[in-house]
This record gives sequence, C-alpha cells and structure tokens, in this order.
Amino acid sequence: MATAKDFVERVSQIAGVAGCLLIRSDGMVVDQTSDDVEGYSSLLQISSGLAADIMNGTGFSHCRYINFQRTNNQSFYIFPIDQYLLGIIQQEDCSVNEMLEQVFSLLDKVSTNRG
Amino acid sequence: MLHLIDELKVIPGVMGACIVNSQTGVKVSNLPAIFRVERLVLVGQHLLKIYAAGRMSFADLTDITLNYDESVVVARELEKNTLLFAICDPSFNQNLLTMSFNLLHEEFKLGNFVEADAEIVAPGAGQTTAPSPSAKGTISDPLKNLLKAMKASLGKILGPMAEFIFDEATDLWIEQGAPDFSRIEELVEQLDREIDDQDKSTKYRQLISSALKDFQKG
Repeated sequence: MATAKDFVERVSQIAGVAGCLLIRSDGMVVDQTSDDVEGYSSLLQISSGLAADIMNGTGFSHCRYINFQRTNNQSFYIFPIDQYLLGIIQQEDCSVNEMLEQVFSLLDKVSTNRG
Repeated sequence: MLHLIDELKVIPGVMGACIVNSQTGVKVSNLPAIFRVERLVLVGQHLLKIYAAGRMSFADLTDITLNYDESVVVARELEKNTLLFAICDPSFNQNLLTMSFNLLHEEFKLGNFVEADAEIVAPGAGQTTAPSPSAKGTISDPLKNLLKAMKASLGKILGPMAEFIFDEATDLWIEQGAPDFSRIEELVEQLDREIDDQDKSTKYRQLISSALKDFQKG
C-alpha cells in the first residue's frame, strides 16, 4: 500500500463517507480525515484483535468488516486490510449498500488477501 | 426465555441466538450443537469487550455486527455484562433482526426474563455457578482507594480496555466472596488471567506493589 494517503483520500470521497482513518496494525496512524484519531485508533486495534480471536475460536474465516450501529444512524465501520485497519464514519443519511459496495471495490484493488 | 430467542431463529438466515453473562456464562442458547457452550462463553466475552470499547467512542451504540466471510454475528448488550447475540448467514435480513432485538430488549427491560431463568438450557463447561447475593458485601473506603489505584495501574498495562476489564474482574471478585484485603490476591490473579502476558503481569504487580504495601501499613 505505497500510496496509502491517496487511498485514504479516495475512501473519503466515496458517497456516504463522513470521515475515515487508516492505521497500521501496530497502531501507527497512516492518514485520517476524522477527529478523535486516538480514540478511533484504539477502537480499531482492540476490536479487530477481538474479532480475530472470535474467528479463531469459532472456526470462522476472514473478517470482512465490523460495524458499530448507533441510534443517530452514523455507523462506524472497521475493515481489516492486510497489515492495516481502515475505519470509516458513515454519514447519517446515505445508501449504506452503495457505500459498502464502493469501499469493497476499492479494497479489492489494494488488498492481497481479497478475492 | 428460550421461546423468546426461538422467535429470532425463525427469521430467515438466523442460525440461532444466545444470551451470555460474562460472570455466569450462557443463560440460554438455541444455536446448533456445533457451537459448544465454552465457545459461546468465549464469543460472548469477546463481544462484550468490543461493545465496551465501542461505547467509549459512541455513547449511543446499539448493536455491533461482525461480518465474516460465511457468517455474521450481531450483538446487543441487554444490560451490563449481559449480551444477546445471533449468528446468521450473510443473506439474513438485518432490519428484521434489529426490530426483533428491539422487541426482545424491551421484554428484558420489563423483567420478563427473570422468572424464566429455570429454562436455561445447555449449561456446561466454561460456565460458572451464579453466586448467592449474600456473598456480596460493602467495600471500605480505604479498599475503594486501593482498587482505584489498581485500576489506574492496569490502564498503564492494558490501555483503554483496562477500565472495563478491571470493573468486570472486580465485580466477579465481589460476587465470589467478601470484598476484603485478605482476598486481594484472588483479584490480582484474576487480572493476571485477563492480562494474559507474563511480562505485563509482572510489570502490573510491580506497579501495584507500593499501593498494596501502603494499604497494609494503614
């Protein structure tokens, strides 16, 4: 992911994305277009680690994404991408399916683990 | 209680559901037998931690969804330390499940689950016995201060999850016996298990050693 900053820029331009951040799995923030980077960064690391533990404990395969649903409809998404973690804050009023479709389309281009 | 989660199971794509308490284990489950009780407890505990982490960023958090390639796990905290989760096919109807979660949550808040506790199914390995309320006790002010210092020290070891983990461990410690300094080693050992890293456990013990000594000196 040599052009990680370009990737973040492209993610942030997807319709329905209110903000995003990309961190390395060791917690280092690569780039962001959101506030509260520290809080989100911790959430990305903790949640993805626990989701991986659940995966190993149950025999599930790859975790595609984690979604935090909120009453204000501004969901937060975490996408594990190889050695990186992408966090996306969703806009309140948007087509979630279209947003996810575009995100996955972008992820397919940058990840080596996605088919 | 079982009939309430059975209503979730009739939703197309929902394999089954489970209610887990972090201290007492699986309260009820109608998931296929392949999901063994100890695994369900593990999943529930991990989901509770994810939920707690999410709450730190989002006070209005409702559900968390983990989307794996072949399955989706949807979870909601019914009350502190008690979580409802469903395991579904990726094709499940999320809106319908969310609505059903809302209805079930309302039933739970109304206390309609209490008298149905006898319907608990499939208790087994990994599940602890619920302690008697009489085991609960009050904590003295000096001990409260010690616990506060221990929690702060755990934050230096585990970061943002420390508060949740410490509170959970302390709740369990209080449920298991009198909250007395004579049992403090039991709490530290519980925290050792949560830290799950020898070096970090050693460091944590070093961090709290002075607070423990000060407490003993009075």
